[in-house]
Amino acid sequence: MTQPHPDTQWPRWEIFKQDNEKRPYQGVGSVHAGDPDHALLTARNVFVRRPAAVSLWAVREDDILNATPEEVGTHPEVLDTPGEADTYHVGIKKTHKRSMTFVDLVESVEATGPGDALRQAREQHADALAWLVFPDSAIARTDDDPGTVESWFAPAKEKTYKQQQYYGVIGKHVGELKREGRMPRRATEEPHAGDHKVYDHPHDASPAELKTHEVQKPEVQK
Amino acid sequence: MTQPNSHIAPNETAAQHAAFEARIERGEKIEAGDWMPAEYRRQLIRMISQHAHSEVVGMLPEGEWIASAPTLKRKTILMAKVQDEAGHGQYLYHAAETLGATREGMIDALLTRRAKYSSIFNYPTTSWADVGMIGWLVDGAAIKNQTMLAGASYGPYSRAMVRICSEETFHHKQGKEMIVAYAVGTPAQREMAQDALNRWWWPALMMLGPHDADSPNTGIMSKWGVKLKTNDEVRQEFINEHAPELLEAGLTIPDPDLHQDEQGNWKHGPIDWTEFWAVIKGERGLGAERLATRQAAHDDGAWVREALQAYTDRQRAVAAD
Repeated sequence: MTQPHPDTQWPRWEIFKQDNEKRPYQGVGSVHAGDPDHALLTARNVFVRRPAAVSLWAVREDDILNATPEEVGTHPEVLDTPGEADTYHVGIKKTHKRSMTFVDLVESVEATGPGDALRQAREQHADALAWLVFPDSAIARTDDDPGTVESWFAPAKEKTYKQQQYYGVIGKHVGELKREGRMPRRATEEPHAGDHKVYDHPHDASPAELKTHEVQKPEVQK
Repeated sequence: MTQPNSHIAPNETAAQHAAFEARIERGEKIEAGDWMPAEYRRQLIRMISQHAHSEVVGMLPEGEWIASAPTLKRKTILMAKVQDEAGHGQYLYHAAETLGATREGMIDALLTRRAKYSSIFNYPTTSWADVGMIGWLVDGAAIKNQTMLAGASYGPYSRAMVRICSEETFHHKQGKEMIVAYAVGTPAQREMAQDALNRWWWPALMMLGPHDADSPNTGIMSKWGVKLKTNDEVRQEFINEHAPELLEAGLTIPDPDLHQDEQGNWKHGPIDWTEFWAVIKGERGLGAERLATRQAAHDDGAWVREALQAYTDRQRAVAAD
């Protein structure tokens, strides 16, 4: 445990990212920031260094109520958490599989407060591994006009050198080693989470994929 | 040998531990609000914050070369890579915060040397090829470790690791591509690549940690699903991948005892751990310089934090009116 230390850090904001208009917002992590603009700018630097994103939401930790079934079991009073009546966004964690995201936002509900929203989320998604709710009024959003989306999120798309596909590969050995059973496997084999590509380590690429990237010509440098 | 129940704190019960371990056994992820042993929390904060510090200090050896990159292409790649390391530090600090650690407490522990970071970043980067060799070997070794940790039982740590592995793959690839290019380039480029390999091979092996027999923290964190492979297993995996690729690139690995055993595993010669421990203790390497650079960056950034705070206070005052 780190030593007790005066905690004067800025509030923590949970960040929800939408990869494209057809995808749900996903809880990707958090940032510390003094105000909503600061939170969104920091979120872009931390979570959108790669494509893709079209929108970010930042919500202060204090405005979020989340619970696992275990927590509801040990602290049932969490379902009575008081607060404002509002439209509440509901996020659920569906799987224990390897993933970059904590929850997907799946719907919104009208609730008398966060406890009520959590109660509704729990009734409608009884088998979820965690529930998360926050009121619509608590969201700081990136502007969704095309110019803002372009200036905030397009630059990452052109930086193709951040993608591993950009580089030549001399990694055929790994495939050979795996076939010969000489590469220790992961201790827990977990399939990828849903349709979300969460893991693009080259060693998981198929041999056909690896072959398409030839070693590049040596560059001449002084 | 420790007692089987030595990790049960006075206010914890064996039944709580059994239920917790059963969850891990079933492959469930532990989330921030769930019950967990105090020792699990303590060890995770130690591991995750140490990992975060490594990402942040890891910016320094390579950052030094940004201004000297030989082409615009190499420069943009290196800038993106160093920026990624800063982002990875953020992911990890946030994961540690879910366990109750504070950002300020962690930064303070780093700057006052109460917290460690990977000693690999205390080696000097003396040539441009070091940037490529760090990408290929150091990031290659880190990915082996992080791929294992992506399966860790603590949800926030696992998620940070999945994200980091995905981005770190670019670091590995750009390094490999660079070194392979130099290895088949001019005599001067070949020599530069070989020199970098000579200096980074052993530190890369050592960064995966002491041999299993000498690793005090492995036992309980392995039982609790955080460390899913031992140091020596990860090291073997790293060598099996990298040794044949380095040889194919035409480079010479600086270990006369390196050979394949009858199972095909590449076995390294004896490791000089005295160097490893000397670097960790700061008797060798750039530990003092790295921390001084971090401290200076922290101090130089004070006005930014103050300005942001002033703006926040002002916004709040306006809102209150």
